[in-house]
Amino acid sequence: MKKTTLVLALVFAAGIVLAQKKTTSSAVVSFDATTPKDDLPKAENKTVIGSIDTKTGVVAFEAAVKNFAFTNPKIQEHFNAPNWMNSNEFPKFIFTGTIEKINKVNFSKDGTYNVKAEGSLTVKGISKPAKAEGTITVANGKIKVAANFKLKLEDYNISGQPIEAGKIDKEPKVSVSAEF
Amino acid sequence: MTTGKNHITSLKWLHLLFGVVLVITFFLPWVAWKEIQVSAYHMAAGSFFQISESNFKLGNPFPQFAFTFYLFWLIPVLTIITTVLVLQNKKAALIAFFAGAMTLSLVTVFYLFTNTLVDLGVGNNAFSMLQPAAFISIVSAIGFILTALPIHDWLKKIIWLVIGPALAFGAYKIGESSVMSETFSDTEDLKADYTINATDLIREFAANDSAGNNKYKEKILTVNGIVSEAIVNSDSSVNIKFVDTAKYFINFPLEKNDYERTKDIRPGDTISLKGSLSGSSYSMILDSTSIDFKRSTLNKTKF
Repeated sequence: MKKTTLVLALVFAAGIVLAQKKTTSSAVVSFDATTPKDDLPKAENKTVIGSIDTKTGVVAFEAAVKNFAFTNPKIQEHFNAPNWMNSNEFPKFIFTGTIEKINKVNFSKDGTYNVKAEGSLTVKGISKPAKAEGTITVANGKIKVAANFKLKLEDYNISGQPIEAGKIDKEPKVSVSAEF
Repeated sequence: MTTGKNHITSLKWLHLLFGVVLVITFFLPWVAWKEIQVSAYHMAAGSFFQISESNFKLGNPFPQFAFTFYLFWLIPVLTIITTVLVLQNKKAALIAFFAGAMTLSLVTVFYLFTNTLVDLGVGNNAFSMLQPAAFISIVSAIGFILTALPIHDWLKKIIWLVIGPALAFGAYKIGESSVMSETFSDTEDLKADYTINATDLIREFAANDSAGNNKYKEKILTVNGIVSEAIVNSDSSVNIKFVDTAKYFINFPLEKNDYERTKDIRPGDTISLKGSLSGSSYSMILDSTSIDFKRSTLNKTKF
């Protein structure tokens, strides 16, 4: 009896430890580089993989570049082309970072918390420090993370005539939404 | 009288000179896309868009009209016919006008297409990518039209100078606008390129990931299988997963407008989904490989 209790306790403890890191494969990243001159360069990727460690605040997202779905076939082709995102060579956008003051978020109580995260964003094989502001919403045992990133295309060696001509925003809005 | 005749003779030889230069420059590079030099000959031979597609992934958006490119052979052919006729003192103005106007229209297309490549990040400026032969062709074509006899038919000549570039510019912009306003067809209306069982698809990728991507990427697939996971997102969209033991899974994000039809799908349900396969990618977070779809829809709940 004592042995059984011990084993169950160990399993339970392991469960708690494992439960600190939650993952999803259905997070959404929206990319919006539209300008008053062109409303086409925007897309969503709904198969983004993400993780959050509720204890340490470590978060990570992996978005496959080819999974961004545009409405216009030509824009989607351009987005993946070698001179833009070059998705064949650099297949993923990756963010890894830490949510500041994660201990202020009570994951066992429903509520919405404003949070900031700081880390590294890798686009086209180039990693740059990145900051994000957003919210963590705890509701009915689910954790929803929503955040906005600031992205400067020139930081990732992405340039070209359409950007100079104002057809593509120099600083596209990138937002992430994930449920764990 | 003799001066006038000499003047006509000089014009005739100048006309012939422009013609010869037009034929020669037809085969010389008009543009350099990075290190790749492309001439008018490539357009007439049908390889212009092949070069662009193989190097810069920008192909001919209207392949059904590819046969029209052979018409550009008329530039050297008409120019040679004109020179022969002029040497025989026969009338050849109309043929010269056609050859000159076609050259100017083709230079216009080269410039506009190069500008589209610049939009893709190939070079910085379309004008600076034009080669000397393109400018010599422009001068020769203008000269070929203006020196055609009778010399004083100015209005007609000006119209022929303008009509080629104007038509080429108009047609290019209409084509460009058509391409940019295009949208993906509803997946529901598309015929699947492949119909496959989820487990078989996963095993095919697990056996050879590259071969799987080469075969299925950006193709429309109908995938039948037993649902492993159905995730209802708070934005009223649903993700369906088919999981196999080989550390591979299929991920179908369904659209919000499918919500009513998909919200009640549960693990264990046998369903059929259709979508465009984006490719597979290994996740460091999950230590497994996802085979992802986009623009996906529910085909039917039972099959």
